[in-house]
Amino acid sequence: MAQEQSAGSGQGFAGDSGVSRIRGRVFEWLTLGATVFGLVMVTALLAYVFNDAIRPFSADPLWHLVYATTVVLPALVLLATYYTSDEPAGEVAIASTGIPIVGLVAGSGLVVLFIELLTPADWFGLVVGLVCAAAVVRLHQLTRPNAAVERLFVIVLAPLLAITGIPAMNIQRTFSSPLTTTEIVTIDAATPSLLPSVGDVLRPLLTAVPGWVLLVAAVTLPVATLFGRQVAARRGDGRGVREVVVGSVGLVAVGSLVAPLFGLAPQHWVLLATTAVLPTGVYLEGVVRRRTGVLGVAFPIVLGAGLVLGTALTNAFGLAGPSSWIGWDFLTSPTSITPEDAGIYPPLVGSVLMLVVIITLVFPIGVGAAIYLEEYAPKTGARGRLVELIEINIGNLAGVPSVVYGLLGLGLFVKGIGLDSGIVIVGGLTVGLLILPIVIISAQEAVRAVPDSLRRASYGMGATKWQTTRNVVLPRALPGILTGTILALGRAIGETAPLLMIGAAASVRLAPNGFFDKFSAMPRQIFAWSSEFDPDFRFGVLAAGVVTLLLVLLLMNGTAILIRNRYQRSD
Amino acid sequence: MAQDADSRSIVSRRKFLLSSGVAGAAALAGCSSSTGGSSGDGSGDGSGGGSGGSSGGSSSGDSSGDSSGDSSGGLSGEVVNSGSSTVYPVTNAMAERFMEQYPEVNVTVDSTGSGGGFENHFCPGNADINGASRAIKDEEVEHCTGNDVEPIEFHIASDALTMAVNNDADWVDSMTFDEMSQIWREDGAEMWSDVRDEWPDEEFELFGPASTSGTYDWFNANVIGEDYNHTAQHEPTEEDNLIVQGIQDSEYAMGYFGYAYYNENSDAVKAISVAAEEGDEPGAPSLSAAKDGTYPMARPLFIYGSEAAIQREEVYEFLNFYLENAETDMVQEIGYVPSSVEMRDENLNALNDVYNG
Repeated sequence: MAQEQSAGSGQGFAGDSGVSRIRGRVFEWLTLGATVFGLVMVTALLAYVFNDAIRPFSADPLWHLVYATTVVLPALVLLATYYTSDEPAGEVAIASTGIPIVGLVAGSGLVVLFIELLTPADWFGLVVGLVCAAAVVRLHQLTRPNAAVERLFVIVLAPLLAITGIPAMNIQRTFSSPLTTTEIVTIDAATPSLLPSVGDVLRPLLTAVPGWVLLVAAVTLPVATLFGRQVAARRGDGRGVREVVVGSVGLVAVGSLVAPLFGLAPQHWVLLATTAVLPTGVYLEGVVRRRTGVLGVAFPIVLGAGLVLGTALTNAFGLAGPSSWIGWDFLTSPTSITPEDAGIYPPLVGSVLMLVVIITLVFPIGVGAAIYLEEYAPKTGARGRLVELIEINIGNLAGVPSVVYGLLGLGLFVKGIGLDSGIVIVGGLTVGLLILPIVIISAQEAVRAVPDSLRRASYGMGATKWQTTRNVVLPRALPGILTGTILALGRAIGETAPLLMIGAAASVRLAPNGFFDKFSAMPRQIFAWSSEFDPDFRFGVLAAGVVTLLLVLLLMNGTAILIRNRYQRSD
Repeated sequence: MAQDADSRSIVSRRKFLLSSGVAGAAALAGCSSSTGGSSGDGSGDGSGGGSGGSSGGSSSGDSSGDSSGDSSGGLSGEVVNSGSSTVYPVTNAMAERFMEQYPEVNVTVDSTGSGGGFENHFCPGNADINGASRAIKDEEVEHCTGNDVEPIEFHIASDALTMAVNNDADWVDSMTFDEMSQIWREDGAEMWSDVRDEWPDEEFELFGPASTSGTYDWFNANVIGEDYNHTAQHEPTEEDNLIVQGIQDSEYAMGYFGYAYYNENSDAVKAISVAAEEGDEPGAPSLSAAKDGTYPMARPLFIYGSEAAIQREEVYEFLNFYLENAETDMVQEIGYVPSSVEMRDENLNALNDVYNG
């Protein structure tokens, strides 16, 4: 009736609004349809892959029944209770289950790194070197507070010298022009080792110290200090740091003495405890102190107890679980010609090492470029237009097909610089180039999202551009930058085509021990399995590989979401 | 270090154990000093160990046992394989068996196509061994020697190249080389009825290997004929599975691939018998027919080792192992014809000549 009344002011308008309601409805249903279609397709695909990988129907029906009653049912009941009556507890339930799981996975990653790549002494030397460097910088700051340029050199050189020293150099390379391959110049120079790094100095002294002690000092102590500062800031009294550090170091150290009894090496316990037990403890401390949602803590306990009970029952009655393709053996063995023995361990390690290369390469460069483009680059005039052109092209680079980056990597790093094909560092550099534009763009978004009023306030208080960027913009932008980087890393870990181009081999049975070893990555291995004759490879093993890759991706994206939520709330 | 190794072995599972020795000692070296790449690592330390096994090419049984006993402890390094997707399963199986004896030698195998392997990996010196489903071409030899890579040929097995059609294609059971040539040459027949009148009036759907493949080259040279070019009107792929899939999906499809893939998929597609000349008795693809020479599309499979790489202990030992086992049932199980005793001895002699000379 309102329409008829407004008819005097515009008949056409009234008529339109009658039609537009149908249009609107149809549009709404269409968008709903698109959403449902997408979700159903993805779910169906995932269900298909998981079914192939885990083969749940190969298990005894009673086995399903046992776990349904011991684990699934109690968990569902608890979740329903949280949902209806105690919502904060639901959040606590999810977090207190998720944090140990993510921590355990991250810890396993560290364990693998220490098995394949580093010794505790190496890492200890590295950490001590960094601490020394920080001390030197601080000392310089105290003694010569006004020598800013000098300090810049100290800040750059002190960590470098502490970590690498001045090693012996032996360069023997022939540079030739890329097209005609005529030799331009040959460099053949060798210098003796001039200055040992802190790690080199310490190493002979450390041989008698057990590895786990070094790890407690170089891993647990820094992590506990970080958590301690956080707890102290939350509680507002000065004792947080000391309590957390003493408590966690004590717990980890005592645990190291007990761990061998349970068949766990002390070093591995230290790493797992630091990544899983400490964060969980700190989180629970917060929960207990806030006194909201304390009931949520019951969820992981019920889940764990249910698992133990279920396992005991199925073992007692001899119920067969599903003969899954994915399992402990799959995660710890190399690929094989018999599908039952095939595993994904070397590609898993390869992917992790590749990520290490990518992070060290891409994070500083990408974030640096983003900060320059947003904070410093000229916005007006001819140079402003040039910057705009560059930004548009960074956007275009983000859309270049990954095969092209693979060819670029092959040409640049293998044929150009002359690195071996198919080694970790070439893979990392190539895929790093691929995600660099994505990192720059997302970091730019994050920096841009910092309100201008904050910058102006900072300038108004007399801060310089550098001080504003350092103290106002970066801290606010960091969660966004981290989220964007982790999502980009998720893309990096799934890239296949560049790895094919740079010659990552189809089957590599030893995990890489360094950045210059041959490697295979998870997607490359999955692709190799897809072309085996045996259908068991193409359907079973391949699906297990896909599930592993998906779980790793899920964890990475989950971490990104956690970081984002955390900082959004603290705003 | 000893402490580290002990504490690790408590927890290590099967494979962690395997890597722990390397990890403990080499982690340091691995991250600080391996900038030079792969080639230097293992060449020095084991040269005494393997020569005991190397001289006895003819007495294969004990020599493999000897060499593994002598040197499996110390031998390490990398053996990089590239090349034909047809040879890949053989090399992959050899790599796995070899690494059971020498767990610290990293034998990597890639499937790049014969030509792709020569062009991008073997001749530039990035791979030690290249598999090929055809003999090396002159221009590839030139490319290799231009980079100081001297290829040494080993004939390790034979394959029965299989021409297959859809299971429902009941009109065709056999073909001659000439008919296949008409179908697969450039600007050749387009319809089935163009080749034989009684065949249906339908267009071919052709699935075959990519031009980087040795299978492609062999088929072009020996069946289509040197005077013609291979058609480009087909779906080229380095994945033989996709060829089988393509044939399965279309009634009028046709494609060719190595016998091993047919062996695994003999229900999925129908192999046709081939005759070299009109009037010859057509032969069906099988390993026995390929062995006794009654199947005309039997072709040799090769691996090529680089002369410089063979001087490295781990590459020599791997090739020694490979050539000896190429005569055993291992190859037959994969779906190829193993090399004969004479071929094996010839290969081993060639290998030892290169190694000792």
